[in-house]
Amino acid sequence: MDYKFGQSKKGRVLVAMSGGVDSSVAAALLVQQGYDVVGATMQVWDYTKGACDIQEGNGTCCSSTDVDDARAVADHLGIPFYVINCEAKFQAYVIDEFIGSYLEGRTPIPCSNCNTYLKFDHLLQKMKELECDFIATGHYARIDDADGEPKLISSHDDWKDQTYFLFTLEREILRHILFPVGHMKKPEVRELASKLGLNVAGKKDSTGICFIGKGGYSEFIEQRVAKDLLKPGPLRQYPGGEHLGLHEGIHHFTYGQRKGLGIATGSPLYVVRIDPALNTVWLGEEKHLYSSHLQIRRMNWLSEVRAGEEFTVKIRFQHKGARAKIREISADQAELEFIEPQRSVTPGQAAVFYRDKQLVGGGWIA
Amino acid sequence: MSKTIYLDHNATTPPHPDLGPQVLPWLNVWGNPSSIHWAGREPKRLIREARLALATLLGVDPLELIFTSGGSESNNLAIQGVMLSQAIANSGRDELILSGVEHPSVRKTAEALARRGFKLKILPVDREGQLDLQLLREALNPRTALVSIMLANNETGHIFPIPEIVRWSHAAGALVHCDAVQGLGKIPVRLVDLGVDLASFSGHKFYALKGSGVLYVRRGLQLEGLIHGGAQERGRRAGTENLLAIASLGWMAGKAGEVAERGQAVHALRDHLEQRVLAEIPDVTITGAQGLRLPNTSSLILAGIDGETLLMNLDVQGFAVSTGAACSSGSPEPSPILLAMGLSREEAQSSLRLSLGWGTHAAEVDDFVATLKAVVTRLRGFRSLPHRER
Repeated sequence: MDYKFGQSKKGRVLVAMSGGVDSSVAAALLVQQGYDVVGATMQVWDYTKGACDIQEGNGTCCSSTDVDDARAVADHLGIPFYVINCEAKFQAYVIDEFIGSYLEGRTPIPCSNCNTYLKFDHLLQKMKELECDFIATGHYARIDDADGEPKLISSHDDWKDQTYFLFTLEREILRHILFPVGHMKKPEVRELASKLGLNVAGKKDSTGICFIGKGGYSEFIEQRVAKDLLKPGPLRQYPGGEHLGLHEGIHHFTYGQRKGLGIATGSPLYVVRIDPALNTVWLGEEKHLYSSHLQIRRMNWLSEVRAGEEFTVKIRFQHKGARAKIREISADQAELEFIEPQRSVTPGQAAVFYRDKQLVGGGWIA
Repeated sequence: MSKTIYLDHNATTPPHPDLGPQVLPWLNVWGNPSSIHWAGREPKRLIREARLALATLLGVDPLELIFTSGGSESNNLAIQGVMLSQAIANSGRDELILSGVEHPSVRKTAEALARRGFKLKILPVDREGQLDLQLLREALNPRTALVSIMLANNETGHIFPIPEIVRWSHAAGALVHCDAVQGLGKIPVRLVDLGVDLASFSGHKFYALKGSGVLYVRRGLQLEGLIHGGAQERGRRAGTENLLAIASLGWMAGKAGEVAERGQAVHALRDHLEQRVLAEIPDVTITGAQGLRLPNTSSLILAGIDGETLLMNLDVQGFAVSTGAACSSGSPEPSPILLAMGLSREEAQSSLRLSLGWGTHAAEVDDFVATLKAVVTRLRGFRSLPHRER
């Protein structure tokens, strides 16, 4: 090791390295820019738990290659690297909440919770403890502090923009965050990775939820909760209430879902409502999927807003955004009215507000 | 890194500074030591001389030494070898006794045997790491085949009273194995004085190259081998020998005259370090300071400090230390040894192990104490920082 430390005038950065291309390039860019860089991987989950239940002492075969990849990049860059175990916290704040949401008829966003309670809390604490000035990640997002007041801005790459998962950030920590690849497009990041000789340049993008294996999320939940919490219940026709059949547990459903309903009807039906109290899934026609207003809880504001102001609001990660006005607003709640009704407003997902490219706030759909 | 200060000699030692030039000619000794022709003579000579030097150092017969790949293999071979031999001989002795603070290569070997039907008794130790010999006396019985107790603990440096353990065990008809890996190079180790039946050693904890170890097996003792094959090591450990590592261990055995003198210098430095730490940093305790200890080891508990975070802070400033929590896999489990001594999880998670070596200088120790003080002071300021809640 010949890394030099404590000599950079730009300061010290703790960079969260997942072993993927984006965070690897982020770390490399920080080194190029002259920061003192410390790499860290959060060990959040034993990915092999489901597939490989071999007990210690009987020849354990499991290890995460992502950690090895991150370590190889850190070695290549000549920066110190640590694995920080966050399994317990990940279980409590991400996994348990993920399962709980489905049992309550909501469709959760585990990535937001991981950002809120792990990357930008647990790791932020490590940043302070390691005397770092900044924390950096490979997110496709930007911070603009041209006027001294840091703003969260969506990525240059519209397709990859990940600000939707970052709406819970506290305003005061923005000035400590660096997103080194936020101004780049994904192909540029890959190209740079291979130009820099990073071993992860050709690695596949991670897609979907990192801890869900081949069995899908229903199986994941079934393996982890008591059977009596996953009871069959009625499928009813919205709005009349006609009995259409039985479902095998509300955790199999999300709003707007059309496939896998387990019934055959003449006209296409969609999940329009999940009622956990009555263990009932309501199916309706396409027109019943649309709604023009929504309630938002646990709001987090990253910028000042005016009541009556119009925003572009994203109600799921892949949503292209729709214009909406805030009707009512309080410290942590808001009520929104869309200019045009939106399809499948889903409890458990986030409504994230943008003023042009700037993320001004967001909250959880009730 | 501008500066590197290594205070983790219980994990591994750097090769002796004079060893490098010795190794170069050995690279040309490439023959198979088992060969009868000319190419086999020189490697065979190197192994024979290494064995003789080690036997002289330990005060045993050269033929009582088996070269292995290291401490873990020596421990595995000793424990499995004895227990399997007893089973094959149908001796009626199927019980194994350990202390609660043995190295994982002892503990897990014993647990593996327990899964196959052997009986296992684990003797607790107190907060100072000391074993109550009365408990050993009570545990010994006609079914006890083997007692395995380490010479010195890797975390705290506590030295166990091996001769007394041997006396009680032999009186009950049991054999005694001693994991002496942490003793070699730190204190004089004379097996004739210890009186044990088997003892394990490792080259890389003794300034030799990695990949060599030794198991002492008292002459005449029945030992079932683990690695079957060729007739190397008189049929007790098959496989072509790791010549460079074995030769380096033998060469170090010849340097063992330095142990007493160097041990004294290290002892003085360790005491200086502890005095300064206790005087200058509040709320620090030293684990195992009451009993007999290795002269190089210091196990500290720094109240309110997360050992893992402390280690990272020291690392980025060039200091290599250990928390005892093997966290290469990211698992922050506190040291099972400290937990077995009755320390709380919080105490164990606040522990820091320093182990000095032959190359440690006074200036390095002073530099370390100053840095430790600064880091601990800063980290204690973070103690009550709140985390986000839902």
